[in-house]
Formats: sequence, structure tokens, C-alpha cells
Amino acid sequence: MESAVKDWIKADETAKEMLTRLFTERPFLPLPPPLHKLPLRPGNVVEVAGPPSSGKTHILMQAAISCILPKQWKGVQFGGMERLAVFVDLDCRFDVLRFSRLLKHKLIQANSNDMKSQTQYDKELFAECMRRFLYIRCYNSLEFLATLKTMNKQLQKQKDIQGVGVHLLVLDSIGAFYWMDRALPSLLVGGSNRKSLSLQIVMENVVQDLQKLLLVHPLLVLATKNSISGDKSTADELMRNTSSGPRPKHREYMPSVWQSFVTHRIHVAASEHNGNHQRQHTYLTEWILPSVNFSDRFVINEDGVFLIS
Amino acid sequence: MAPLKSLESEYPIIDSDFRQFCASHAIFSVEDFLVHDIYVLMALAEEHDTSDRLKQAITQVLSIIDAQHQPWLDGLELLGYSQKSKSILSTGCERIDAFLRGGFQGGVLTELVGPSSSGKTQVCLLAASNVTKSGLGRVLFLDTGNSFSPTRVAQFVSSSSELADTESSKILPQVLDNIECRSVFDIFTLLDVLHQLLQNLRYQVGQNLRMLIIDSVSSLITPVLGGAGTHGHALMASAGFLLKKLAYEHNLSVLMTNHMVAGDGGVIKPALGESWKSIPHIRLLLSRDVLNNICSMFILRHPSMAIGERVEFAIL
Repeated sequence: MESAVKDWIKADETAKEMLTRLFTERPFLPLPPPLHKLPLRPGNVVEVAGPPSSGKTHILMQAAISCILPKQWKGVQFGGMERLAVFVDLDCRFDVLRFSRLLKHKLIQANSNDMKSQTQYDKELFAECMRRFLYIRCYNSLEFLATLKTMNKQLQKQKDIQGVGVHLLVLDSIGAFYWMDRALPSLLVGGSNRKSLSLQIVMENVVQDLQKLLLVHPLLVLATKNSISGDKSTADELMRNTSSGPRPKHREYMPSVWQSFVTHRIHVAASEHNGNHQRQHTYLTEWILPSVNFSDRFVINEDGVFLIS
Repeated sequence: MAPLKSLESEYPIIDSDFRQFCASHAIFSVEDFLVHDIYVLMALAEEHDTSDRLKQAITQVLSIIDAQHQPWLDGLELLGYSQKSKSILSTGCERIDAFLRGGFQGGVLTELVGPSSSGKTQVCLLAASNVTKSGLGRVLFLDTGNSFSPTRVAQFVSSSSELADTESSKILPQVLDNIECRSVFDIFTLLDVLHQLLQNLRYQVGQNLRMLIIDSVSSLITPVLGGAGTHGHALMASAGFLLKKLAYEHNLSVLMTNHMVAGDGGVIKPALGESWKSIPHIRLLLSRDVLNNICSMFILRHPSMAIGERVEFAIL
């Protein structure tokens, strides 16, 4: 009895041990720009918000690539995480050919630092990286929920096969079924305590299932969200006080359960600042949560996302 | 999704005892399971005397749920699938083909936007006649405003340089036979047609369909949008996801046209608003110079091409 109590009050580990454990299990993740400025770790939920065609999916693809790239391979440094990345395609628009081109470019780029050939990449390494990329698409919220409910099993299976765990879970995009869910029929057959499907219930369960996953797997959740701009009321306001007052960039429409689940939020938008906007479209980022006072400007070209100063 | 009662014949573990346990937590169907915390249910099942059987049944339901999402693929499988089955259909115009790297992609929703008489329907008809003329497969043309013109198709077939006159008149019946034109005047009919098509393709009826054209999609959706209700948007999103599913799973090139409306400050913009923007994979803006009949095509959205790239072409 006494020893049990002693065992119970004995410290499990020192603070130093705990920190070392945390930093190996849930280290800060080296994410590519424009997500590089804030230290992000597994457990964080990052929302990339912005209007359509503002480069959101590209940012996610780059993040997934840095997750599946190895740290080093045959003496060449790649600086990746060498972990599995899960891509849940809710918009059903993922272009795998584009993704593989971006990955190949990264492989060639790392090689060319070595003054080797400029267009060759290691096919074996390419295959290994692509195997670490797990993809699923969902056409509606029920499929999304079914995916989340069974994802733990799938991730465990993949972890056993591939020998490495998952570090990144990408959701593109979280508001994809918003309108369909809002119009779900709320019929209650069989008792008033039966949960009827609604946007609220769906999002509550999505968040709940994600939280369960986060407990078991050291995951960084990266989700895009289409921001709705240019609705009638803001347009009218703009007409009234032109040039005075900043334009509201972020109008929240997701249920509060999702909003409070998000730990970091970055806003991206196409920038109209640039004078010569015939060829090069530039994009501007802004951290909203935490609201820090720097913004990055980037371009997207054949080879990926690049910061410009 | 299935009510639990109907599953017993296939899975005897889902017996009346288990259903009673579920009913006490207001679960009657597999769908209800999706909005419940499985871990909590497992813990509740623990308290019963038949906890082992109950937990087995819950595991059984989980594996039923596991079969209700799309399959997991790794990057290599996905790439292999897309390289093997995704084809590109020539548009029938060399300059557009060169610009779009071959033509209209299979599995992808391509939207043509532009003001009236900017050449949207012409591009659709040209692509339809080209696909059927080359014997690549069948085309389904959903016509919302009586814009389909067999005479124009005949012109396209006979004007193609590689065929002699006699030859082109010979293949014309076959070309027209392979273009199915259906009139669709509202979004409900559209959803019906698309659901039916999905069923048919799943059961291998109407094989070799390669292209689906909707001219114009905006005239079906605009009437249900507006007002304070959300149902219009829900119908629009459902049609969008249905089209994506059809395109991806049956390797169809989907071609839709959309008109332009006046936006903020009189600048014209594509109709259907912000939420529709995330539906098509590729968005092309057409415009036409009335004087010399030269059309231009701009990229408004493309997964791998830069916004603003353009090409000029003429359809004779």
C-alpha cells in the first residue's frame, strides 16, 4: 500500500526528460514558405484562408512535399521530415501530375547543389517519397466522416508498413460541403434525441474525430478555407467610404466549433500592388492568428512557391 | 446508408440485442454511427453483460463504415492511375491544342466563360465534332438553350482539311450518331440526367462516352440562386460534385459554358459567384474581336498554367 502511494507521488520524469521526449515525438516542423515564420508543431491546426485562385493548394502541396522528402539520401541533403503525409481531397481537384512535377523539381534542385547533372533525379527516391504520400478524396460529408472514423486504423497500418509515422494531415478544403450540409433535411425519425445531420453536427464530429487522431498521432493539421469576399453588404460599404477603412479580409462562415479548433490562421490573397501584372502574379500573406505584424510576398511558377522581397 | 435492421441477414452479429443497445443511444442506421463517438460507445458497451458481443458488433459496423469512403491511394498508385487512364481530347483547333497542352483533359471540369457570341458554343461544337470524327468515343451534349446545331457540326466535319468531300459526307451520319443531344431546362432535370448517367456508366451501359458538354451551365443554376435561402447553393454544389465524380471515375472531359455579369463598379465577371469558383478545375475566358473574327482565350484558373496566359485563334 505504502509503496503504491510512493510510486504514485514519485515524479514520472524530469522537465528535461520531458522536453527531450516532446522534441523528438513532436518536434517543430520545418515547413516551406510562407509557413516558415512561425514555429509550428504537431498538434497545431493551421488554417490557410483566402479567395479562390490565391495559391492555397500550392502551399499545401509544398508542405506535403517537405514532409515526404528525406532528411538526406545518399549523402545529399534534402532537409525533409521523412514522414507520411495524408492528403484529404474534399474539393476533388488535386492534380497529381502537378504534384509529381513539384517533387521532381525539389529532387533535381537538391542534386544540382552538388554540381551534378541538372535534369536527372533519382527514380528510386522519387518512388519512395510518393509512397509516403497518402491520398483520399471525399464527395460529401458522409464520406468525409467515414474517412475520419476509420483513419486511425489506416494510419496505424501504414505506419507499420512504412516504418515511419504521419506528421501532416492536409484538408483541402474544409468548407467544401458547406452549402450541401446547410441544406441537409432535418427529419427526425425515431425519437427526439436522435441526432439529425446538420452542418453543426457534421463539424462537431469532424473536430471530435480529428482531436482523437491528434491524441494518437503527432499530426500537424493544415486546412485550406475559401474565404468569401465581395458580398453585397461589403460592396455597398466600399462604395460609401471609398479608400477609407480597411476592407474586411476575413468573413467567418464555419461553425464556431471549427473556429475554436484552429490554432493558427494565415490569410493569402492575390496582390494587386505590383505594377507590371501581365506575367507575374504575386500573392500576399498575412498572419491573422496569432496576429503578427509581418507579411510575405510570393510568386508561383513552374517550380513551386517562391518568396520575393 | 443502411438501417441496422437490414444488415442482420448479412452480418448476424448485428442482432436484436445490439440494435436495442444502439436504439437506447438513438442510433438506428450506419449513418447515425458517423455522428457518434465510437470510443464512447465502446465504453458504454463495456457496462453491459454481453459487452463482448456488443463490442464485436461495433467493430463490425466500423468495417462497414470503412467500405463507404473512396479507396486510399498512395502517391505512386495515384500517379499511375492518372497516367494510365487520363487522356487528353483534341479540341479540333491546333492553336488551342498547343496552348492547352493537347486539349481538354479527361477527369477534369473545364469551364468556358465569356460574354455572348464570344465563341463558347463554337468551341464546344468543334470539340464534339472532333472527338466523334476521330472515332475516339461518344459525346453527350446537354443543351439548355437550343444552341446545338447539327449543321454547324456538318460544317466542321467537311471543313477539316484531311478529308475529301465524299469521305466526309460518308462519316457525317456516324459523327452525328455519336453525339447525343438532350434538352435540359432546369437544374432538377440536370441532376436527374447526371445521376442516371452515373448509374449507366457504373453498369457499363452507354460505354465509350468521352465528353460531356453543358451549354450553358449558368442558365440552369442562375434561376435557383439568389434570395435568402440556401437551397440554391446546395443544388449548385451538388451538381458540381456530381460532375467531378462523373469526370474522375469515368474519365470524362466535362466542358461547361458560363456567361458574364456586371460586378462591382461595372466590371464584368463570370456569373455564379464565389462558391462556384471552386468547382471547375480549369477556367478559360473567351473573347472575340468582332472586326476580324479573331477569338482569344485567357487562363483564369489552371492547376499548372499561370493566370493570364493567352492565345488567339479563329474558328471558321
